[in-house]
Amino acid sequence: MLRFTIRRVIELVLVFFGVTFAIYAAVWALPGDPISSLGGDQPLSPQVVERIRELYHLNDPLWSQYFRYIGNLLTGDLGVDFRGRSVAERLATRWPVTIRLAVTAWIIQVVIGVGLGLLAGLRKNTWIDRGVLIMTILVASVPIFVMAVTAQLVFGVKLSLVPIAGVNDGWPLSYLLPATVLAIYGLAAVARLTRGSVVDTMSSDFVRALWAKGLTRRRVIGIHVLRNSSIPVLTYLAIDLGALLGGAVVTEGIFNLPGVGQLLFESIRVHEGPTVVGIATALILIFLLTSVVVDLLNSLLDPRIRHD
Amino acid sequence: MKRRAARSAAVLLAGALTLTGCSGGGSGGSAEGGTKSISYAVADPVTLNPGRQTIAFAQSKVLFSSLTFVKSDGTLTYLNAESVKSADAVHWTIKLRPDWTFHNGEKVTANSYVKAWSTVAYGPNAWENSGQLINIAGYDALNPAKGKPATTTLSGLKVVDDLTFTVTLKSPDGQFPTQLSQAQTGFFPLPEAAYADFDGFAHKPIGNGPFEMAGSYAENEPMTVKAYGNYQGPKPTVDEIVFKPYTDMTTAYTDVQANNTDILFVPAARMAQVKQDFGDRAYVFEGLGMSYLGLPLWDKRYADVRVRQAISMAIDRQAVSNVIYGGIWTPATALTPPGEPGTPVGLCGELCTFNPTKAKQLLADAGGFTGKMEIRYPGGSGLDDLYNAYANQLRQNLGIKDVTATPTTDFPEFQKLRNDKNLSGPYFSRWGALYASQQNTLRSFYTKAGGCVNCIPYYTDEVEQLLAKADAQVDPQKAIEGYVGVQKEILKDFPAPPMFFEKYTYATSDRIAKLAEGAGSLELENTAVAES
Repeated sequence: MLRFTIRRVIELVLVFFGVTFAIYAAVWALPGDPISSLGGDQPLSPQVVERIRELYHLNDPLWSQYFRYIGNLLTGDLGVDFRGRSVAERLATRWPVTIRLAVTAWIIQVVIGVGLGLLAGLRKNTWIDRGVLIMTILVASVPIFVMAVTAQLVFGVKLSLVPIAGVNDGWPLSYLLPATVLAIYGLAAVARLTRGSVVDTMSSDFVRALWAKGLTRRRVIGIHVLRNSSIPVLTYLAIDLGALLGGAVVTEGIFNLPGVGQLLFESIRVHEGPTVVGIATALILIFLLTSVVVDLLNSLLDPRIRHD
Repeated sequence: MKRRAARSAAVLLAGALTLTGCSGGGSGGSAEGGTKSISYAVADPVTLNPGRQTIAFAQSKVLFSSLTFVKSDGTLTYLNAESVKSADAVHWTIKLRPDWTFHNGEKVTANSYVKAWSTVAYGPNAWENSGQLINIAGYDALNPAKGKPATTTLSGLKVVDDLTFTVTLKSPDGQFPTQLSQAQTGFFPLPEAAYADFDGFAHKPIGNGPFEMAGSYAENEPMTVKAYGNYQGPKPTVDEIVFKPYTDMTTAYTDVQANNTDILFVPAARMAQVKQDFGDRAYVFEGLGMSYLGLPLWDKRYADVRVRQAISMAIDRQAVSNVIYGGIWTPATALTPPGEPGTPVGLCGELCTFNPTKAKQLLADAGGFTGKMEIRYPGGSGLDDLYNAYANQLRQNLGIKDVTATPTTDFPEFQKLRNDKNLSGPYFSRWGALYASQQNTLRSFYTKAGGCVNCIPYYTDEVEQLLAKADAQVDPQKAIEGYVGVQKEILKDFPAPPMFFEKYTYATSDRIAKLAEGAGSLELENTAVAES
């Protein structure tokens, strides 16, 4: 276990430096000068552009900028964006929004997705099973953009049930619609995966042996089947939570939620290197951490999986 | 009421889910207790410091009052100034109206302007709106090519008394009073209180305008301003304005449809349907935006003026507008938008009129067109439909087989391609003027110093001289004649086809009775709220 942990930590450090540099270089390589487009429609005077470029060391070579950035990062300073706003402060106001959205969506996926999957798996080849299959395929084939805009029109404009945009109504009201839309896609996958896993386990030899031993249905399914079919599902759900935290760019945009995904998108558009790397670093850490948690969780659930 | 019932229903629905860290609190924006409140969809303003803002025009306009004010019909009036006068267009005397105060009670004096302008122009500050003051004497001393400037004040500004100051310009400019109008926020005054803490000021500005901050600005949160009791200018019709930030204006559009927000500037992507969706709650106002089709004058194939004229005449502007902008944008017939006084509407004549037969003939006379015509425009800005339509029109009406319209990844990349003259075909080109004078559009497009990064680099000595001559006129009518002369001169060469006079389209919720048109925008403060 110790060796496993040490190995993971070393991996984490290497991945951290590799990825931050790659992203920094990528933003740096984007064509065009971010400063001269700061003025939007109106041109900035050349003097102003030059001053701002100096201020942010944009005339220095890439490696020098990167090391300056990493140096500051290691002392906990995420720097400021081209408008002089603290990146750390901006992130701090945005993470709660993204976390609320992701966790709400994730809970919807767990409750409904796993529920539907179990139902379908335990009632294999009945109309319930087929109904769930058709429903999930149908839903997952609608593009998220169409789904989001339709949901806004139906539930927001026509029925006035929920707010369409922004977070001013707080959790949960402001998050209901976006979280549901966001959850729907993973939900189909969770349901399919749960169903498959349950069906596999039900038809495995050890379950047949349990039936033969005369165990009650409740015991067979409630303990043995559930536990053994949960490994792939849990792995998926953990990775999915990471993806939800980092991948809500479209949803946050359409629903005007000031979260991290939206900030990332805007920052890339205006070539805001420090902000992009700051967000990417945090996302990488989340992915690395969730994958460690998954590994540990799996070995707890299935003693055959060991990490030495 | 409907909304509240809906809210409790939704809370019940969500009751099954539990999650810590809720943040509550509703938003403002309703007419409660007789307060006439309206909400306006905006992009996040970033900063409210008028010397630095680049997207907070609406907020700046109600928090501050400019010296002069251009009305929707293009007439120039005085606001904070009592008069702005000059005999030679170089030396200007500005008298302020008495008894004006900033929201903290501080008097608005000549020094409020003189000190502010020096601060905006001071190079090391690198304030975004510094360029607006470039023609004031002493600007160059504050912006040396290398090192720190030796002085901190604009030598062209002198305080005469409490309410009077003089301005000396580098070159004669009869349009100076118009430049001092409501959208050139670099010319706004700053109170003494601002200098102690500009960061704080950017979030909670203290202005001289009809509205004062009710709280302070926080990123991505609605911001409320309320009527300033001691305001000396014209009384606004509303008591309170809530600015609601959106990152995606099509979302704001849906939110106005749902009556959650009152007013929005309709994004291009929704213009084709706005009249259907909103009926008489959709408003079309005169804009100060001018849309061109830029041409690569550095490419041999576009060197013959007949080729450029052919391209212009091969595009059915009205048909393009009908399909993409619901017919709202009008075909351009001059080089400046009609919102700029004296614009010679119709001047372009035949050259801007759709005539595919003549276009083909002109192209053939010029020796035809070889190779591929690649149209480029900035991606991610909702321009795809427009430039694809241009491509289709040119392909069909000019018989050029290979015409493509390709977006760049973003605006910075487009700027770079244009700056490096790395474009081989027609390209995105537009200018939105900040003040209603032909000077603004002509100067930005057709002078090197104009600095417009997406405009056509067509700079000639004749145009420079004619412009300078028109600028030197103090008499507005003579100045207009001069600018019309400039347009005629440019049209001889026809460097690039003018395409559209942009219209600014707004839509409102059903709580708004009428929007008031302004020059190149709306007069938010004069909105009529519906009786409920």
